[in-house]
Amino acid sequence: MERILTVVPDDGLHARPAATFVETAGEFDAEVTVAAVDGNRPAVSADSMLGVTGLGVRGGDEVRLVAEGPDAEAALDALEVILSTPEDELDEMELP
Amino acid sequence: MTERRFEGIGATPTLGVGTAVWYRPTDVTDLEEPPVDGVDPVAERERFDAAQADARAELEAERESTRERVGEDEAAVFDAHLKFLEDPQIESGVEEALEEGLPAPHAVKEAFAGPIEQFAGMDGMMAERADDLRDIRDRLLRLLTGTERTDLGSLPDGSVVLAELLTPSDTAQLDPDSITGIATMEGGRTAHAAIIARSLGIPAVVGVGDELDAVDDGTDVVVDGEDGVVIADPDAATRERAAESTQTAVVEESVATADGRSVEIAANLGTPAEAGPAVDRGADGVGLFRTEFLFQDRAAAPDEDEQYAAYHEVCEAFAAGVAGDGEPRIVVRTLDVGGDKPIDYLGLDPDENGFLGARGIRLSLDEHADLFETQLRALLRVAATDAGAGLAVMFPLVSTVEELEAALEQVESVADDLDDEGVDYAIPELGVMVETPASTYLADAFAERVDFLSIGTNDLTQYIQSAQRDLDRMSEYQDPLAPAVLRAIDRTVTAGHAGDAWVGMCGEMAGDPDLTELLVGLGLDELSMSAVTIPDVKTAIREVDTEAAAELADAMLAADTLAEVRQRL
Repeated sequence: MERILTVVPDDGLHARPAATFVETAGEFDAEVTVAAVDGNRPAVSADSMLGVTGLGVRGGDEVRLVAEGPDAEAALDALEVILSTPEDELDEMELP
Repeated sequence: MTERRFEGIGATPTLGVGTAVWYRPTDVTDLEEPPVDGVDPVAERERFDAAQADARAELEAERESTRERVGEDEAAVFDAHLKFLEDPQIESGVEEALEEGLPAPHAVKEAFAGPIEQFAGMDGMMAERADDLRDIRDRLLRLLTGTERTDLGSLPDGSVVLAELLTPSDTAQLDPDSITGIATMEGGRTAHAAIIARSLGIPAVVGVGDELDAVDDGTDVVVDGEDGVVIADPDAATRERAAESTQTAVVEESVATADGRSVEIAANLGTPAEAGPAVDRGADGVGLFRTEFLFQDRAAAPDEDEQYAAYHEVCEAFAAGVAGDGEPRIVVRTLDVGGDKPIDYLGLDPDENGFLGARGIRLSLDEHADLFETQLRALLRVAATDAGAGLAVMFPLVSTVEELEAALEQVESVADDLDDEGVDYAIPELGVMVETPASTYLADAFAERVDFLSIGTNDLTQYIQSAQRDLDRMSEYQDPLAPAVLRAIDRTVTAGHAGDAWVGMCGEMAGDPDLTELLVGLGLDELSMSAVTIPDVKTAIREVDTEAAAELADAMLAADTLAEVRQRL
């Protein structure tokens, strides 16, 4: 299962958005990978902070998420919410 | 001596003057050669696991203290560090190196080397991630090698910290009350140290370069965060310019609202050393002097004379520094241990003495009655001195009238003893710290028995909302503006005044200038806060109209949801 999303937080996948992203990915059984659509780096595991941060994804960039496993769809839904929430609203956000 | 100027990047629009103190942490990456006859991989694995667990605990504590002192946004970096700490790639790197027979510190160094190099080679924000990784690696190495942490938390007042770079773990320890400036060789405007300095209002210049090394320890320094320049040995004109440009002007005299209602603005202190800086920032007195510092980090409890000296020192600092009629009021809280404040020799247990266990006054009336008696003796003696005439004593975590009466009886009994011994003493003002739901319901009964109530909003919020302070997931419940908490505060103030007690507030809420009007509207007589925010709150008080403030408070008390409260603010 695959989804292409535009990253909303201005700073991209760094600091808190990245930490929240990695934390959330780790809560699901599904194996999730993430890659920058325009990038030339290989896809990385979504539960690795090093991998996710190392993609160098900025706000406005497109990323491709690929998930495999029983709760793949739920995992993608949750990660989509994080990628589409501005950083200053992450606090109030309730994850699905 | 002519002044020397070092250009860098201004990180805060403020200036500071102080004495240079170099921060040079021990280089923990300089490891000894691994033993030639090898190591036990299983033991090294356990060693790494223990260091990782300790690092996690440290990071969680630093995140919490940064959240409390600075804010949620600034604490987020520690979430990122926690994720890096447990990254699968790092963990497998350590695993591989351990299997090759390396000792744990060497394995950590090796596992981080690749990722650090990778990030350092990228630009901008990515390069700053390399600094994060170095910080995490060095934390692990420090824990693994048992290296003592270089202490940034207890620098002399008026220190300007000079460093190659300040990491998030360094900045978490910075004390804005004693540090008047920061200058670093490396870093940009978005570096963590720059962000924290801005939030704490510490003047900072980053990215000065290696030239900064020419400034020796002890040199007089101006840190001009506005123009991004560090000036060593400043001339008179530069000094004057720096002195004039502190953020909010200090208001030394006591203040009243625009329509003339006086509100006492006091400081929260953790140690006697903080008294001087609090006076300098215009504190009228002390609304909460925590006495735990006297009991922590030592093998046995302090005796009566040592306590007497510490309490007297604070009273003297204020008596000498604050103008006005009578001696400044100094509210000393009796020992408040348990919960999140462990002390080894008291043999406290995290469960038995947790947030809902035996802590605060409960311990003082029971197994630690001896400590309570000693503390009261010291306090009653200080109250009899000239400087101590404004002393007040507050009991923490009172939740029943029986407890309060027992504590008051203990005061009487100590007074009788001192009388019999012919020792000078006086009974100070006595009060209750209102921080449990029970105490808000009993505030009328308390007010009949004591001189004052002081609302501790941090614990009150935790208990009213039934959400533990140190649990991250509960953070949305920790807002003192929650309708239930506001109504509890209102009830307390009304009941206190009906019983002729004055009512103060000593939680973090009291120091937020955005809430000053609301707090005046709720009727608080005194606000006590971290000294840094005193100039802002004093300035805010002068603009408040009591009638409008009361209307604002009524509107907010009528709101049923936090969202509505926030909307009306």
